[in-house]
Amino acid sequence: MNATKKLVEIGNIVSNTELSADVSALVLECPQVVAEAKPGQFVMIKNEMGSTYLRRPFGVADVDKENGLLLLVYRKAGKGTQELALLEEGSPISVEGPLGKGFSFKEAGRTLLIGGGVGIAPIIYTARHLSEEITGPKPVILFGVRNHKELFWSDFVEDFAEKLIYTTDDGSYGRKGFAIDAIPDILAKYPDIRHIKVCGPTIMMKGIAELAIKQGIECEVSLEKRMACGIGVCLGCTFAGKSGKRWKVCADGPVFDGVEVFG
Amino acid sequence: MNMKRLATNFAGIQMATPVMGASGTFGFGLEYKDFLDLNQVGAIISKGLTPLPRAGNEGVRIAETPAGMLNCIGLENPGIDVFLRDILPKVRKEAPNTAFIANFSGSSVEDYGIMAEKLDVEGVDGIEVNISCPNVKEGGIVFGTDPKAAAAVTKEVKSHTSKPVIVKLSPNVTDITLMAKAVEEAGADALALINTLTGMVIDINTWKPLLGNVTGGLSGPAVKPIAVRMVYQVAKAVKIPILGLGGIATAEDAIEFLLAGASAVAVGAENFVHPDAVVRVAEGIDAYLEKRGIGHVSELVGKA
Repeated sequence: MNATKKLVEIGNIVSNTELSADVSALVLECPQVVAEAKPGQFVMIKNEMGSTYLRRPFGVADVDKENGLLLLVYRKAGKGTQELALLEEGSPISVEGPLGKGFSFKEAGRTLLIGGGVGIAPIIYTARHLSEEITGPKPVILFGVRNHKELFWSDFVEDFAEKLIYTTDDGSYGRKGFAIDAIPDILAKYPDIRHIKVCGPTIMMKGIAELAIKQGIECEVSLEKRMACGIGVCLGCTFAGKSGKRWKVCADGPVFDGVEVFG
Repeated sequence: MNMKRLATNFAGIQMATPVMGASGTFGFGLEYKDFLDLNQVGAIISKGLTPLPRAGNEGVRIAETPAGMLNCIGLENPGIDVFLRDILPKVRKEAPNTAFIANFSGSSVEDYGIMAEKLDVEGVDGIEVNISCPNVKEGGIVFGTDPKAAAAVTKEVKSHTSKPVIVKLSPNVTDITLMAKAVEEAGADALALINTLTGMVIDINTWKPLLGNVTGGLSGPAVKPIAVRMVYQVAKAVKIPILGLGGIATAEDAIEFLLAGASAVAVGAENFVHPDAVVRVAEGIDAYLEKRGIGHVSELVGKA
């Protein structure tokens, strides 16, 4: 089910910088995990000096295979991420991964990549992979963010995108509204889009998957659920698919066919 | 690791070390093969099996707590028949030398007997009877809090199997030694303690219990002192061997359980945090024995 080898590696923090008031980018040197990581997979990290007990799942945002660097982007929400934000260059972080099954790639047709909130993170590596490794047209990228203060994502993906489009909740940049509202225009302008890959809030992915199914476009969604282990053991993250089969988000996903989840 | 120093016979089950992976935290063992050498795992104790497949509880199933976690999975498992047909052969193929203990529960005394009989097959080295799951409505903890019911289940299981029978006790009782003695008298070959402690957490934003099942089982380092105390008390009350567990994260933790009277230990929630924990704990015990010039791990048992 997952061909990549999983391991635990102590990674050193190369940088831990604020991208906005509550979102930070963490770069870790962990060459063994990076060598195996595929787009859409995730890692479980633990700050061994911190006060939280369990590891926390983070989508692989990007990798620099040459230098063994892993990028994670996180929102400071709970105690674990607040403590993480205080760590400086050189601090060790335990990285377990790469975990799960990522996005699948086909050479025919263009891909529309969609991210919402910090769910944008895994879209970066996916865009890089599509642009650098997969023959075919570059992806169109659509990001749904709160406001104009969250345009920092552009720096990470600009080079890989045929076109980068934003929607903002408050209309302070790009189109006002949700990411899904922008899709009809995009599909009209890029009729060669055959695949949609989306990572964001459940409600956003549901709407987009339903739209994709109606349009006959293949759609993959990347799910997020509370989990303790990340390797298919604790069963904290399981759900029943539309086929009736039970899936583990961590081991069978986090990427699933939109039809199985929302169809 | 000096395997001679660690080799343990627990209630008739031969193990490479006295450190096992606890039920519900170690899958069926194979999930950990990238992280450790399964030959160095004392025993794989399976996820709790039930007569029929179970989907488990709805809603949030996991919550982190100070130095631990709550879970209310609700015994999600593929059922005994799928386990025997699809999973056990795979485990025996990939981990032929590791002791395998099947954990199971039922919702009636008869269920337990039927399960025990189905599990009386080659490839299963012992069975662990779960009379203490706090997260299922029927069975589970009902049998785990009433000495008579626990004894009845134990007798039923014993009469349907040739395997060593370990009965896993609940800590959610006033006096755990009463349960231990009842189960011993009913013929159990060994005891495992403790299962999780019932707890809950409330979401102050929604004003509702966070967990889908309202309450859950507490595990992790937070419960260790309670577990050590209970192992210590039970070891003084019974003659059958004890599998000690509850919050073991390090070799030092495991050694406390051995000194308290456990003949073997299991690592639970810590497997989620450090997936090599079972082997790391065994290595640490070995280093401790080496440093103190102790010839075999069994010399620690009950010395506190």
